[in-house]
Amino acid sequence: MKRVSIYRPSTVDEAIQILSQHGTSASVYAGGTDLLIRLKNRLEQAPSYLVDIKKIDHLRYIKEDAQGGVEIGAATKLAELADSRLLQEKYPMLVEAILKISSPELRNASTLGGDLLQEVWCQYLRGGYSCWRNGGYICYGAIGDNSYYHSAMGGRLCYAVYPGDAATALIPFDARAKLATPEGVKELSIEQLVPGDMLVDGRIQSHVVRFNEILTSVVIPPPKPGVRASFEKLRPRGVWDFAMASLAISLQLRGKTIDDSRVVFGGIAGRPLRETAVEAYLKGKTLSAELGEQAVSVALANAAPLKYNATKIDMAKGLLVSGLARLNS
Amino acid sequence: MQTIEGLLLEPVGCLAEFPPQPFHEIAVRFFGRKGKASPSGSRSYWHLLNLMQAAETPLGAERRNIVDELEAEAVAGASIYEDVLPVLAELKTMGIRLDIATSLSHVAAMSFVERFSLGKFFSGVWTRDDRLQGAAGGVKPAPLLAALAGASLAPAATMFLTDTVEGIKAARSAGVHPVLMMNDPDEARRLAMHNPAGGVVSLHEVPDFIRLISFQNKAAQNKAAQNKRA
Repeated sequence: MKRVSIYRPSTVDEAIQILSQHGTSASVYAGGTDLLIRLKNRLEQAPSYLVDIKKIDHLRYIKEDAQGGVEIGAATKLAELADSRLLQEKYPMLVEAILKISSPELRNASTLGGDLLQEVWCQYLRGGYSCWRNGGYICYGAIGDNSYYHSAMGGRLCYAVYPGDAATALIPFDARAKLATPEGVKELSIEQLVPGDMLVDGRIQSHVVRFNEILTSVVIPPPKPGVRASFEKLRPRGVWDFAMASLAISLQLRGKTIDDSRVVFGGIAGRPLRETAVEAYLKGKTLSAELGEQAVSVALANAAPLKYNATKIDMAKGLLVSGLARLNS
Repeated sequence: MQTIEGLLLEPVGCLAEFPPQPFHEIAVRFFGRKGKASPSGSRSYWHLLNLMQAAETPLGAERRNIVDELEAEAVAGASIYEDVLPVLAELKTMGIRLDIATSLSHVAAMSFVERFSLGKFFSGVWTRDDRLQGAAGGVKPAPLLAALAGASLAPAATMFLTDTVEGIKAARSAGVHPVLMMNDPDEARRLAMHNPAGGVVSLHEVPDFIRLISFQNKAAQNKAAQNKRA
């Protein structure tokens, strides 16, 4: 394992100061289920300084806000989200998605912030290949085995898929992320937080958080009346794998008429992929048994599968059919 | 990698898909090549360049005319990749110097540039016919060397896009960074073993590639300055 120095700040301001001091050599350390593996695998981009935020107060909570929404501290464990009665009552689809992340053991360690900002799990990167995210200038996934961890919707230098499920499930609720930065608090939608392969501080990463910024919380607006939502995930082993394809879908209904919708695919692109073409198609339609098959005709028209992963697109379309059927039942 | 200032582009296989037959015919008629044409225009072209490079005597005027005609046929049958024009425009906006460096004849290269209206993007066109600073001209690294000298580009700050092993070797021998165009994943996997400096799935990734190197170098400079202050 790569040797590291660990800081244990007691405030967010102190943590930002330390991060600013070390630049990209430092990284926030919370659950460690992604970061420690990067260190163990001695990846080029693994940090030399860890800024452990576990001792900072006010980063681990789930609380209802004055408007009836919920704010979740970024250091809250996934297991705590899964066990939350408040979340179960207000956003059951989010809890369903969290329960499909990894294993119970890992959910006890992983945090919401870590899940949102995790590094991709491409086997070439994690295996130490010198790729775009590991000191090199080539994507081995684009030319090698890309059946699981790689995008079927095109890429930007790196073709790995964004692996997190929490972001996919939070987008239908129009959730927003709060970041502490040296200039003050910054607020972003989840789509803005994880827009896919970005050049940030001289690195390629899936999110836009800079080296001296800390994701502090996620705010979910109050549930809208008449909303039904569903999360489904296909994975090689039902017990704990990353998504081959996943779908978070929400419909705002007036009787059986769809007034508004959110359709977000996971596991098929470099970011959680909001499929606005399907959302536009669903608007004003009547929820019925046939709607899924009809909606598929407009879904993922920009698919650009690599040699071995066209099946991801079929899976995603299948999830759209089954997701709409589930919401109709 | 040093921050990139210039890009050398070979039309065959990097800017356009060329038909293999004219290159194969030149190879068969004048350089003793046997067997069928490769389905790839790029591979047929680089095979031909291998044979041209190995030939002991230069072609006579009559044969050169036939070669020019067949190369003109290849240019006429070429189809430009759809991302070429927007990418060249973006690179130009970024201040990257763009030159064509090709082992095609000067006539063929200029005809290619004219046919696809590419003149406004390129600062120079360097071919096997160009004789610069007493050099004899020739194929493979020669046009690259001519381009570097003519454009006053530092090899370490220059990329050459290629989709063949011969292209990688030519770039290495000229001292520039060979960047693999990974058009065909199976072929690209084989070529990746030849240690290119990088690889792109399509031309539209090249501006981001150059930006990333620039960002990395700036980040390294900032870090060095920070360490110095500390």
